[in-house]
Amino acid sequence: MTTATALLAIRNLDAGYDGVAVLHDIALSMDAGEFVCVIGANTAGKSTLLRTISGLVAAKGSISFQGEELVGRPSHRIPGLGIAHVPEGRHVFPEMSVDENVTLGAYSVRGASDLAQRRERVLEMFPRLRERLTQAAGTLSGGEQQMVAIGRALMLSPRLLLLDEPSHGLAPKVVDELHDTFLTVSRTGTAILLVEQNTTLALSVASRGYVLESGRIVLAGTSAELSDNDAVRSAYLGL
Amino acid sequence: MSRLSPMRLILIAVLLAAAIALPFAFDPRGYAIRILCLALLFGAMAQAWNIVAGLANQVSLGHAAFFGIGAYTSTLLLIHFGISPWLGMIAGAVLGGLAALLISLPTMRLRGHYFALATLAFGEVMRVIANSWGGLTGGPVGISVPFAPSSLAMLQFKETRPYYWLMLAALIAVTAIFVAIRKSRLGYRLRAIKENVDAAEVIGIDTTRTKIIAAVLSGGLTACLGTLYAQFQYFFDPDTVFGVGSISVRVAMIAIVGGIGTAIGPILGAFFVIPLEEFANQIFSAQAAGLSQLVFGVLLVVVILVEPRGFVAMGQRLARRFRREDRS
Repeated sequence: MTTATALLAIRNLDAGYDGVAVLHDIALSMDAGEFVCVIGANTAGKSTLLRTISGLVAAKGSISFQGEELVGRPSHRIPGLGIAHVPEGRHVFPEMSVDENVTLGAYSVRGASDLAQRRERVLEMFPRLRERLTQAAGTLSGGEQQMVAIGRALMLSPRLLLLDEPSHGLAPKVVDELHDTFLTVSRTGTAILLVEQNTTLALSVASRGYVLESGRIVLAGTSAELSDNDAVRSAYLGL
Repeated sequence: MSRLSPMRLILIAVLLAAAIALPFAFDPRGYAIRILCLALLFGAMAQAWNIVAGLANQVSLGHAAFFGIGAYTSTLLLIHFGISPWLGMIAGAVLGGLAALLISLPTMRLRGHYFALATLAFGEVMRVIANSWGGLTGGPVGISVPFAPSSLAMLQFKETRPYYWLMLAALIAVTAIFVAIRKSRLGYRLRAIKENVDAAEVIGIDTTRTKIIAAVLSGGLTACLGTLYAQFQYFFDPDTVFGVGSISVRVAMIAIVGGIGTAIGPILGAFFVIPLEEFANQIFSAQAAGLSQLVFGVLLVVVILVEPRGFVAMGQRLARRFRREDRS
């Protein structure tokens, strides 16, 4: 994996809120279609990393996506490049219907003539959503809301999908379903950058991972390597 | 947002016919018809306010700024250049929209109370300027619209009825604009911003620009209504048209009491708040100083405590209860 061909290449990235630095000297890279996870404790800066890629957090350094520099770009200009973000906490639009939520996902696609096809593809992936198209998204179960948020993101037909703590607050059974959802999405060729506190889930779906601690990447490797790493086992897997 | 059913169309047609015929039931030079005119005008203002506050949840307490700009622009153009208030209204709308743009640029990033306070300050600044720039506005003494023979072209009538129809047309027009915006792409963008700003940004909505567009439309429309007010009252001063209590807060309150974000809410709110205020004044103002305002305030507090989302939500709750009883 060389940075020349990488889908996403992050170098020397510092980021934070109102002068309080959260991320320090981050380096991370992903190839097209790859499934990568970032694990770490609460407050390690995992969400900030995704929010920085999406332009929601001020940053210094470089985030290159398909050769385009993202640092300094306003956040609403980023989805159009092919990056879809599913924010933490299932950010659906609660009073809009499932259909409205999903359709709004293609909002930044200019002159989309294939909107119906995109919608069809998403609904095929999530048959449950088809049953609830007219229901207000806020009245769905947690797992279903997560599906809406992911489905909305997929309407962009993104090259890269950013998933922020998708398992947070979900029942174990729903987490199992999510597992399948991720693999379904990954099989379509979409690269996924997954941030998770549920380390077991993250390492079971992603092929590679980074460990984030106090805003720095302290470890990187394949999921198998990380699962075998003693520090990871004791700190994050509770073994 | 389903298409209008035939039943609803008929209902709207009947209501409209009744609204048009209503002034014939009142003394044409009386007091009651003037109250109706004000209720229609304030309903239209609350509806214009609703575009930015109801759809995007940016609650402004400075809409008097745009209202006053509209009133002063058309009146000054009429006094100094004899320009028809209709053209003055257009000029006022442009200036009102421009003012909304200027105030939005620095404040639209603010949310909730911070935005409300910033807009409140803006309205007050306009009031102070109008009071101290006596050479232009006449200052605290106020300004009078020069009399002209009754005509639609000069927007002046001896009778009150034409004003009533004018205000009714304004309310219908602003309501139609509100409904059209709500159904448009702009409306979806605004609703997405209201429900979740970050989620709106990450699906590619330029949230600041969207809110500014809504504010400019809202400010421009409010300025038009300021012109109507000036032509209706013939006399106004900075404290009336730029007032916090007389305009900014009252407009916000009307929409909130009626049902913020809905098309019918500002109309219900206006026909509750404006007559109630007059009624309280009539009954209580002779008894003790401030008593009427107190009664008016208490009644509003009761309404908000019973249902913070206004009459529309109250109606929906009642309708649901009836349906449940039908089934059982």
